[in-house]
Formats: sequence, structure tokens, C-alpha cells
Amino acid sequence: MPGRPCAGLQRILRRELRQIARYPAWIVMLVPAPIALLVVLSLIFSDGLPTDLPVAVVDLDRTTLSRQAIRMVDATSDVDVALQASSLAIGKEALVAGDVYAVVYLPENMQRDLLSGRQPEAITFYNNQYLTVGSIVARATTSALQTFSAGVSQSALISSGVLPEAAREALVPISVQTAPLFNPALDYVQFLLAALMPATLQVFMIASAAMAVARDMRVRSGSSRLVTLGRTPFGVLAGKLVPYAVFSLFSLIVADAIIFGFFGAPFRGSIPVHMCYTVLFVLSCQCFGAVVGTLAGEAVGALGLSGVLAAPAFGFAGVSIPRLTMNTFAWSWGSLLPLVPYLQLRTDQVSRGVSPEVSLSGFAWLTAQVLIYGSLAALLLWRKSRPRAFGQEGLA
Amino acid sequence: MIALFHAVCTSLKNLWYDKNARSAMIVAICIYALLYPQPYANEVVRNVPIAVVDSDQSTASREFLRRIDDTDSVAIHAANDNLLAAQELFYAREVFGVVLVPAHFERDLLGGLPSSVAVFGDGGHFTLYQSFSAAVRNASQSLGTEVRIQRLVSSGMDSNRAQSIVSPLEITAVPLFNPHGGFATYILPAAFVLILQQTLLTGIGLLHAGRPQLKGLELIASPLAYILLYLMWIVVTRLLVPAAYGISRVGDILPMLVVALPFLTAVTAMGFALLRVFPTRASMMFFLLLQGLPLFFLSGISWPTESIPDIIRLIALAVPSTSATAAFVQVDQLGATLHQVLPSLKLLAVQTLLYGAIAVLPKRSKVAPTALR
Repeated sequence: MPGRPCAGLQRILRRELRQIARYPAWIVMLVPAPIALLVVLSLIFSDGLPTDLPVAVVDLDRTTLSRQAIRMVDATSDVDVALQASSLAIGKEALVAGDVYAVVYLPENMQRDLLSGRQPEAITFYNNQYLTVGSIVARATTSALQTFSAGVSQSALISSGVLPEAAREALVPISVQTAPLFNPALDYVQFLLAALMPATLQVFMIASAAMAVARDMRVRSGSSRLVTLGRTPFGVLAGKLVPYAVFSLFSLIVADAIIFGFFGAPFRGSIPVHMCYTVLFVLSCQCFGAVVGTLAGEAVGALGLSGVLAAPAFGFAGVSIPRLTMNTFAWSWGSLLPLVPYLQLRTDQVSRGVSPEVSLSGFAWLTAQVLIYGSLAALLLWRKSRPRAFGQEGLA
Repeated sequence: MIALFHAVCTSLKNLWYDKNARSAMIVAICIYALLYPQPYANEVVRNVPIAVVDSDQSTASREFLRRIDDTDSVAIHAANDNLLAAQELFYAREVFGVVLVPAHFERDLLGGLPSSVAVFGDGGHFTLYQSFSAAVRNASQSLGTEVRIQRLVSSGMDSNRAQSIVSPLEITAVPLFNPHGGFATYILPAAFVLILQQTLLTGIGLLHAGRPQLKGLELIASPLAYILLYLMWIVVTRLLVPAAYGISRVGDILPMLVVALPFLTAVTAMGFALLRVFPTRASMMFFLLLQGLPLFFLSGISWPTESIPDIIRLIALAVPSTSATAAFVQVDQLGATLHQVLPSLKLLAVQTLLYGAIAVLPKRSKVAPTALR
């Protein structure tokens, strides 16, 4: 059957579009559902930074100075004194019940001891089970108490009278100028949301590709018919995956529009370069999904395998926990996932704004994934399409 | 009673012989138990490599850098002469931060002038950045305090008095629970609640989507079978998995089981209710697959519920994992009493009733499309 070289691809593509169009519920799942998830994720992190996290104070001193310390803790934007507990036990109970994230304890006779130079101890007990929130709360209360302490120190120096010039000296001899590059406000939108949206879409891309490829392979003849129609396994894969590539790319662009448009995160790279690795990311996810689909050989199994492989991917991506601290297995497994090189390229190109040459290894990595997963999927499909497939059927 | 027992056994047998349901409700959980904790297995971020640029090369600057290096969180990986070389290492991801000590650091410090050091790190890498900047802040504080005390002492003040004047208030921060700040301790007790929910919902979808509604004894036996199976998974994921990864738990087993029961009934009821919305197995699975990550961040474990907009928070309360995750973590990791998690338990009970009612509503007579499986 001679014809244009793309004829097979087009036949498969038309067939896939007809199959999608037959089920309106399926169309909902392919476009509005991922977009809705992106919107929900954006709303979760719309504050950008957690503020006014509730803490309790246990003030056993009840003096002017202790109240001043509490006011200074309350005045920070990070925490909010939500409870004045009369004892440490009550404060701790509120912490365990999840009502507050920390208990600030100011001891009895604090003012007296402060003024007489007996160095009383103020303690912040914080809930470190909630690691992120716990560290924010601990840092905020500690630095508020430090400012308070510095004020007491200042007035003690002045009132001691002996050292008028010492009081004017730097209260903080070494100041640390912190310059969080690329995300100066330490905003969670740029840190977490910008990684969570591609991670969620990675699950979508892998699952949709796996499902599309597996759907026609339920019976052995299905694969053969596909390859006859599409001429080559590559023709089949391309024809099947094009529609989902378009949907995926659209969702990724919406995600970027939210990050850079709505939240106004700075975009320091070039749009063509950004689009280039975004497309590679889509292709890599789809080829990964196609391998899953051909391995599973039927739709439900393909979705199950996608879930097992793709759903835990975010932990391996090195966002919440850096990749360099992972064990060899976790590091290697992460390297196989499309999300990892994509996020690295994105960090380099968009937030750090380095020249594309610096990211050549990332491009090579992502391209290699596309080639390897693509060839593997084509090979598996070709094997299954032969009359006597010696590949095993079913979910591995 | 015996009939019920037999019906439960039949349900479990059906589950075992359905390859896909077995994969979701048994095999997948085993794989998750092995795979999911891997990134967090090393628990704490230690000795993150950083570069330093010491333009002062003095005793004070070396002492300052030594104090940074001495912390657990960072380790000095490279000492550079200029910032550009350090920056190159940073972009190549060989180091994750740079500390710059300016010239005349020591002269200013000893002369009572404010001297400043600069810290560069990637604010997009939160955890690394936080522990790095904390290490530098602590080093500068301890050195700065010592210098101030020395100056007061050298001008004739008694050293105890100098100390109490420089830092009149001793400030301590004590982590309660997860004292080492371990990632596995932080993530896993919460994540496995969600893993159980998602696999249970998926399994119910696989076994019942596109099939006739359950009737009679089966209506009790099937949910009961799944709840019993998942009670076993609760024990595995809340006792054995934490033990295997060295996660210490504070709470007793009994209150944990009391939380588990309404959680499992709510999830099971929700699974059967979702069957009314999703006509096919594939569509329900696909939907559930996409929910995982957003649901995790709605549970309040890694992003405070106080910062989630009310409307989203309300919608999220319809999902059992939202309140159950917090309840499990409170009971297991914080040692909360059942009284302290009562609101969550009540909510789970309401969900059970509500979803259960939706699930048993008589079905509209409509032929469910069977394609797309």
C-alpha cells in the first residue's frame, strides 16, 4: 500500500481522535480535570508564605518586660499569639491537639532576673513533626526574642553608665546579609508550586500515554492491527500520542501562565529555550508512558503501573529533599524520571537565567530519555505485534 | 453470621482472583512501602557542600568559617579566591551556597564596627537554603557575642557581668517530636494514610465499576472484607513500615486503631459513592491517579491549613484523608488522646454516613457504557 510516508501516522491519529470523541467523560478528564487541579494547587499556595501561624505563650512572669517580649513575638508576620496558657501543660496540650505550632515559655521572675543579670532562660517548644511549619515558627519566635534581648542589653549598657561608648557600638557585631538568589522572598509559589504543577502533570502525561497505547493491545491481534495500520511501531506511537501531547502542552502552558503571569514570578530565560525543553519533557513523559502501556498490555493495568511508578515521583525530584542527600537507589531512580532533568533545566534557564550552554547536560539527559523510552516502547510494540510474540503478556 | 463470614471470604477471594484489584490493593501497597520511603531514607540533610570566599584571610575570618564548617548541616567544600569561581561551582551544582567574608572583617570586628558577611544560596531550594543560612547565622552570633564580651572584659568589666549584659536572656528552641528533624519521620506517617486511601478507592473502582449494584448480604460483606483487609494494611504501614525505617512513634496502638476504623469506613463508603459518578474502571482510576499530590498538600502536614483559603479547605474536608492524616499523625507521632482528635473522628463518621447513603441510593435505569475499560 504505497502512499505518503506519514499516511500510517495519520490513520492512527484519526482513529485515536475518533476514540476520544466518542466519550465526553474522557474529554473532561483530558483537559478540564488537569486544569482544575492546577487551579486548586495554585489556590492552596496562593498566600505564597505562611503567615500568622498560631503559637501559645506561657507567661509565668506577668511583668512589663515579659509582656513586651510577647508583643514582639506577636508582632512578627510569621506567627500570631493565639493562646495565653497558664501552664506549660496546657500549652503542650494545645500543641498536641494541633491548635498551635509552638509554645513560648517565659519563666517566673524573668524581669527581676533580667535586670539583675542572672540570665533567665526563655524556651520555645516547637512542633517539629510538622517540619516546615515547625522551623518557620521556631525561627520567628527565636529572632523576636533575640531582638527583645538585644533591647534589654542596650538599656543595661546605658544604665550601667560606665561604658557610654560601648552602648553605641554594634549590637550585632557580625551581620549576615542573606541574599536568597532567584527567590528573594522565599516564596513557596516559586519553590513548591512551580515544581508541584509539572509533577502533577507528569502523572497525567504518563498515565494518558500509557492508557492510549495499551487500550488497543488487549488482544494480541490488536497490536498487529495497529502496526499494520500505522506501518511502523513509531508511526503507531506518534499517531496515538499526538493528541495527548497537545493537551499536555496546553496544561503545562497554563501552569506557566499561572506561575509567571498570575503570581508574577520572574522569568529570566528565553521563551524558545523554555518551550524547547518543555516539549522534550512532554515527549519523555509520553515515551515513558508508552513503555508502561506496552508492558501492561491493557488499559487498567497500564493505569495501575503508571500509578505505582509515577505517583511517588515528586519525592524523588529533589524539591522537598535535595537529591544529593538521597541514597544511590533513590538518586538513580530519580534520574530515570522526566521530571528531574526538566526541573533542573527550568531552574537553570528560568529562575537562574544562565546561558543555555550551562544546561547542555540537562538537554542531553532529557533527549536521551526520549530516545531510549521511545525506542523501547517501539521495540516492545513490535515484538507484541508479531504473530508469535515471545514477550510476556500482561502486567509485569 | 456464618453466611456473612462466607460472604466476606467470597469477597476476599474475588479480590484475590481479580488481577487488577490484587495489584492495587496488595501488590501496589507492598511496592509503595519499599519505593516511597527511599528518597527520605537518609532522614536528615547533612554536610551540604558550600563554597567560601575569604577575602580577609585573618584569624577571625578563619575562626568564623571553622564554626560554619563545624555544624552538621553544611561542610565547606571549596575555598575560592574570588566570587566568580565560587559562582561557577554553584551553577554547576557542586556547591549549594557561597559565604563571602569581606576584607577588613577582623579589623572591623575587633574595632567595634559592624562587619558583615554575605550569604548566597538558591532560595528556590528551600530546605538547603534554610539550613545553610541558619548555620551561618549561628556562627556569626556565637562569634559576635564572644567578641562583644571580650571587649567589655578588656575594658575592665567582670566577665560574668559582661556576659549577662551582652546576652541578658538565654534563648532556647526545643523541638518536641521529631527532634532530629528527619524527613522520613515528617513525610511517611502522613503519606501512607493517603496511599491507603487511594489504593482502597482504586480497588473498589476496579472490583465494582461498571457492574451491577451490590444487593443483600453482599452489600455488607464486600465493604466489610475491604475494611478488614485494610486494617491489616493499617497495622503494616503504621507499625511495621515506621519500625523498618527507624521512625519512632509515641502513641499507643489502641487509639490508632480507633482512628483507623472510621477512616476505613469513610474511604470505603466514598469508594462506593464514586462508583455512581464514574461508570468505568479506567475513568475512575485515571481520576484518582491525578488527585494524589494535591490531596497530600491539603492535609496540613507540609503546608499549614491556616494558609489554605477557606473555600478549598472546606471542599477538602469532604475527602477522608484530609482530616484522617492529621488525626493519625497526632495520635501516632504526638501521642494525642482520642479526645484531642474527636473533631476528626466525628467528621469521618459523617462522611461514612453521607457517602454510604449516596452509595446505596437506587440507581437510575440507564445502561452504563462499558467501553473504555
